[in-house]
Amino acid sequence: MIKAYILLITYVGNLKAVLEELRKLDHIESISVVAGDYDIIVKARVDALEDLMTLTDNIHAIKGVKRTNTQVIEKEIEV
Amino acid sequence: MRIRKRYLFYILALSSACASAASAVVDTVVAHEFIANPWVYGLAFFLVAAPLTLLITLIISIPAGKRSIGARIDPSFRRIRFPRKEELLYQMLSALGNAAFTLGYFLVMSRLMEPSVVLSFSQLSILYLLIVESVAEKNAPTMAEVQASLIVAFGAILGSISLSGELDMEALLIVFLVMNPGTVLFAEYQRKLKRLKMDGRPNDAINIRLWNLVFTTFFVFIIVSAMDVKLVAESITASGTALSWISAGVVVTFFSIVLFVRAMGIGKASITQAVRASSIIFAIPFFIALSYIIPDITFVSDPVLLLIRIMGIVLVVMGVISFALTEVKAYIFIRLEPGYPVTEIQQKIWEIKGITSVSATTGCYDIVAKARMRTLGKGYERIIRELEKIRGIKTFEWQTILKEWEEL
Repeated sequence: MIKAYILLITYVGNLKAVLEELRKLDHIESISVVAGDYDIIVKARVDALEDLMTLTDNIHAIKGVKRTNTQVIEKEIEV
Repeated sequence: MRIRKRYLFYILALSSACASAASAVVDTVVAHEFIANPWVYGLAFFLVAAPLTLLITLIISIPAGKRSIGARIDPSFRRIRFPRKEELLYQMLSALGNAAFTLGYFLVMSRLMEPSVVLSFSQLSILYLLIVESVAEKNAPTMAEVQASLIVAFGAILGSISLSGELDMEALLIVFLVMNPGTVLFAEYQRKLKRLKMDGRPNDAINIRLWNLVFTTFFVFIIVSAMDVKLVAESITASGTALSWISAGVVVTFFSIVLFVRAMGIGKASITQAVRASSIIFAIPFFIALSYIIPDITFVSDPVLLLIRIMGIVLVVMGVISFALTEVKAYIFIRLEPGYPVTEIQQKIWEIKGITSVSATTGCYDIVAKARMRTLGKGYERIIRELEKIRGIKTFEWQTILKEWEEL
């Protein structure tokens, strides 16, 4: 199993529409709207790197997404 | 896949509260219709509970698709297993706590005609947990938590109090000195168990519950047989006559505790206990329904008492809502200086209070951490100041979470 954080920057005024589309996608563990350099942080869980590519492709296809930055998790400590 | 709103913790704790209200109803029916002696009922319950829970755990170990059925109840659950060496001490202590609570409960039940007069004070265990957490410095409660916990605890007392009986000082002492410390012991060690890692995965609430029940049965058996051996024989016959009701109680309690332990894996024991105190609200519709089925059990109709209870319920709801609203979460993106070991820094960040996950990542950041706190001020005091002490961290970016959806 591969987990990754996908950090999204959207064009101003598209946040709500992007969120609506994101919530329809598979392999997503959580979606957070944040205040900071990014707009949305998606945590993804996929079986193979190829699924991660499909997911990022799908995210890129959403209208209003300006840029994404994928951080693949190597080791995670969690409660 | 549907992604629903956050607050998995509140959903777990509230579902647990609902299940525990249902189990209270089953208790009332069994005590009223089948087994009058609380000691006999107590032992009979555990005699049915241990094998039945074993059976349930075996059934939900059956794989359905990729995961077992039990993974739907707790995603960390794979299959039934024996307790590990590192779990044994925690299991013994939490079983001891559970047995103390149970013993105290029977004592109060057998002493008083109207036990709810004093039993409502067992809700004060929330405050005991708060005190324990503030002594264990790593988990010092914030003012907002103390406030909301007090509101919930007093609300729960008002909501479950009964004015018909007399306040028995000795019974009250049992609640304060036996039952509440028992609850604290049980909750704190169940939480520690849930937070243990089994082969790098979180521990599952189902196996914790199963083995806790086995140990508690052992303790309760010893205590009851030490009192009077005749009670044991009586319990065995009683468990036969009321088997279906006791089984129903066991199943409901199983869900109540499993969800409770899962919730404690996410949040603090005191807050989980406080949210769970809302079971007094869920109990009302159950008891109204029950009073229709069994006419002997009557629901309070005294207007003064009803008013007091409604006040209590409003307090509980307000307290729980203020817990839910005073929560801030944030992501922290961290870049490291070259030449420092990532795993070591990861571990140091993990030890900071309020950090709920730390991931080493590839990409433009080296570590992504997630933090949870009651106020943004605490975020500075507890997290940023601590982060600044760690050598090897070059920069970090703080991103406060405004809204969040999580997979349930």
